[in-house]
Amino acid sequence: MTIAIDTLPRAAAGDRDVSTVVTEAWHARAVVFAAACVMVGVYWDISWHMTIGRDTFWTPAHLLIQAGGLIAGLSSGYVALRNTFAASEAQNAASVRFWGFRAPLGAWVCVWGCVAMLASAPFDNWWHNAYGLDVRIISPPHMILALGIVAITMGALLLTLARQNQSSGRDREHFAWLFTIAAAFWLMNVWVMLSEYSYKELMHSGLFYRVAATYYPLVLLTTARANTLKWPATKAAAIYFAVTLSLMWTLQLFPAEPKLGPIYQRVTHMVTMDFPILLFVPAFALDLVRQRWDGRLRDPWLAALLGAVFVAVFFAVEWPFASFLITSHSRNWFFNGANYVYFMSPQWVARTYHFLDTEPWSRPLAPQLAIAVAMATLSSYLGLKWGRWMTRVRR
Amino acid sequence: MSARLGRLVALSLVLLVSAPALSFAHVGSPNVIFDGKAGPYDVRVIVRVPSVVPGLAEVDVRVLHGDATSVRIQPVFWRTGASGSPSADEAKPVNGARGLYSGQLWLMARGAYSVYVTVDGPNGHGTASVPVMSVATGRLGMSAGLVATLASLGILLVAGLITIAYVAAGESVVEPGLTIPAAGRKRARLVGIIAVPVLAIILFGGAKWWQAVDESYQQRIYRPYVAKAAVVREEGKPVLRLEAVVDPLIPDHGKLMHLFLIDSARMTSFAHLHPSLVDSSVFSTVLLPLPPGSYRLYGDITFETGQTHTLVGTIRLTSDDSVAAAAAGPVDPADAWRVSDGAARRDRLEDGSTMEWLADSTPLRAGEDVTLRFRVRDPNGAPATLEPYLGMAAHAVIAKRDGSIFVHLHPAGTVSMAAQEVFALRDRGDTTPTGHLRLPDDTMTGHTMPLASEFSFPFVFPRSGAYRVWVQVRRGGRVLTGVFDVTV
Repeated sequence: MTIAIDTLPRAAAGDRDVSTVVTEAWHARAVVFAAACVMVGVYWDISWHMTIGRDTFWTPAHLLIQAGGLIAGLSSGYVALRNTFAASEAQNAASVRFWGFRAPLGAWVCVWGCVAMLASAPFDNWWHNAYGLDVRIISPPHMILALGIVAITMGALLLTLARQNQSSGRDREHFAWLFTIAAAFWLMNVWVMLSEYSYKELMHSGLFYRVAATYYPLVLLTTARANTLKWPATKAAAIYFAVTLSLMWTLQLFPAEPKLGPIYQRVTHMVTMDFPILLFVPAFALDLVRQRWDGRLRDPWLAALLGAVFVAVFFAVEWPFASFLITSHSRNWFFNGANYVYFMSPQWVARTYHFLDTEPWSRPLAPQLAIAVAMATLSSYLGLKWGRWMTRVRR
Repeated sequence: MSARLGRLVALSLVLLVSAPALSFAHVGSPNVIFDGKAGPYDVRVIVRVPSVVPGLAEVDVRVLHGDATSVRIQPVFWRTGASGSPSADEAKPVNGARGLYSGQLWLMARGAYSVYVTVDGPNGHGTASVPVMSVATGRLGMSAGLVATLASLGILLVAGLITIAYVAAGESVVEPGLTIPAAGRKRARLVGIIAVPVLAIILFGGAKWWQAVDESYQQRIYRPYVAKAAVVREEGKPVLRLEAVVDPLIPDHGKLMHLFLIDSARMTSFAHLHPSLVDSSVFSTVLLPLPPGSYRLYGDITFETGQTHTLVGTIRLTSDDSVAAAAAGPVDPADAWRVSDGAARRDRLEDGSTMEWLADSTPLRAGEDVTLRFRVRDPNGAPATLEPYLGMAAHAVIAKRDGSIFVHLHPAGTVSMAAQEVFALRDRGDTTPTGHLRLPDDTMTGHTMPLASEFSFPFVFPRSGAYRVWVQVRRGGRVLTGVFDVTV
């Protein structure tokens, strides 16, 4: 039994009627499914833009994303309406009040995420018309969409967490696994948003390690501290790795051709995102440190230890792996090193065989790694605090 | 990501494009119109280019003669050619308009494109190349409706987040069934209050980011090449020198530059000259004997890539310049000028012949494609025999009286023939001995055209207003210029 589990609140009485506890199972499962739809849709959509380019609202990838948003938003909206107007006493008691309506916190976060996703659509359309169709992932309207997606993932975490915290035995383990899956999709979302900083050519620059250290410990530790499973961060990172690898290998099998030009690369099948980062290794190290030190060290010290360990292990794994990815040996279906998008010029392809220093402040490496440790410490601290709060969520 | 959804949402919203005051390859008239052959079919192609890059071009294809069974359109970028272009799209027949097909194409990169229009039908198969320029010329404004929609959603989201922070810190951590204690309520309120400035900072950061994107975009908006013009004396002759840094050029109609001077005050004085390149950035030509005054300069050039541009500038000519120019006389027989107000329908030319605008009874309307027909009669009233002028049956210049629009066109439309050749050469994969894609100087002078006394120009007037039209033909070895006025 880990210390993290010991710090969790005790489940309610084992014989309690679980249909009346905080979160209904169907709702928690539906929202985790929604998060999965959204993130698989996002991956598919990016692959679509890397391969085909031209899209409409009705591409399957878009439909999957919007379906995920709607499943989360509508199911949560239904719970809110029912809890407000036709709830049992228990359902009413397990809700929070929000502008006169009542629902669990996770449901409100999902509704917010759904509204943010919808709001991003007209904004994104205007953005394309005003500044041209972007080929960038990071733009203000995309950030609003990403926030909406994060909210749906967060809603999934809160709903599964509340249910996990209120259950025992197999039911508890079941929802702990759902919680871990939701955590994996949050990780995947962050990885997608950071992908422009995570190209293999950047993996020997300080930028990559600083950015990774800023975001991944937050996600890993927030979800790990609130999770009742053993090795929670490792499991979440492994699920992220498995999902992205499966998508990377599967989508490549489908024939497709660019519908936008100029076309510099001959593309016959779907092009997919880079090989995922080996996050399960530092995640394992974080789990180890937490097993040994969580509860023994105060959070600021624990965060410093976790931050340093994260950067050290992440660097130790990614640096040599990048040295391999940059070579011609990675240019195969397995490592997907030749995932050249149709608009890559030959010069650009040539650059993928060399590590880049994109900015003057990405070297020398030592001070960059020191900054990365500082960022990872801050990120870990916030994650620990956020995770602590999550363990206290009751409604 | 959800371009089409937004388009559906935006159907009810009026989107305003900030009209570009100046544009590329012609001024103030970015649309491209082409009349010509796609194999055995006569076609008119109108490409309405987007004001942003990447953006959607609207393509209308009118099959003027012959029955087409299919019309396909394809965007070809200069660097990659047809083999590096996406497969062609089917243009859809427009209901109620026989022979008219319409479609949209994404222009993804900045620079020279050619829209390949392929027509299939009982007479076989043919392709026309219509060069267009892909540049960002403006930024879309936000309609009041969209502002209201986005602001409402923004307020809803911000208020929602503050409330989520409030309940997350308060009621959500209270055991079900219990009421929130006073301390918890206080903490929740504190978190809610702290959330306000935190969100304000995030929103401020977002606004700064948006502003930075906008500024960077504004910097990349296309601005015409501005030429520094001066008149200098060389061996006593008044020489007009234009200085502008441009990319390597190819001749269009055998000339590296077609320069037009139009007096800025009343537009009565007009000249068409052909400066040559003195060095990499200086063009010069002997001045024509134009009346003194201020002139606007428009210099049409074509880059090796197939991009077409209009250099703009101004020059003030003195009476000394005019006298010296009259003494020097024209050097290039293709140079021509005319000082005259515009006629409504019929203009008597310098050699006694008459040029007539064969106007349709329907009034001209902005945004609609029209055919401007002209006929030249000799002094006896008989149809005149015309000679090719720079390889073409005729040249026309259309300028809005306020100076905001300038277009140089031919019976084939506004496209550059040199740009068409460039795309054809690249697609054949021809290599050039100099390493440059340079057409022989006489490539464009040898067009064989039916030189009847009647000829026409396809055009789309971009905006309503008063226009002056100069039409140039060659007869008896002399370049003649007819001048007309028209209100659209």
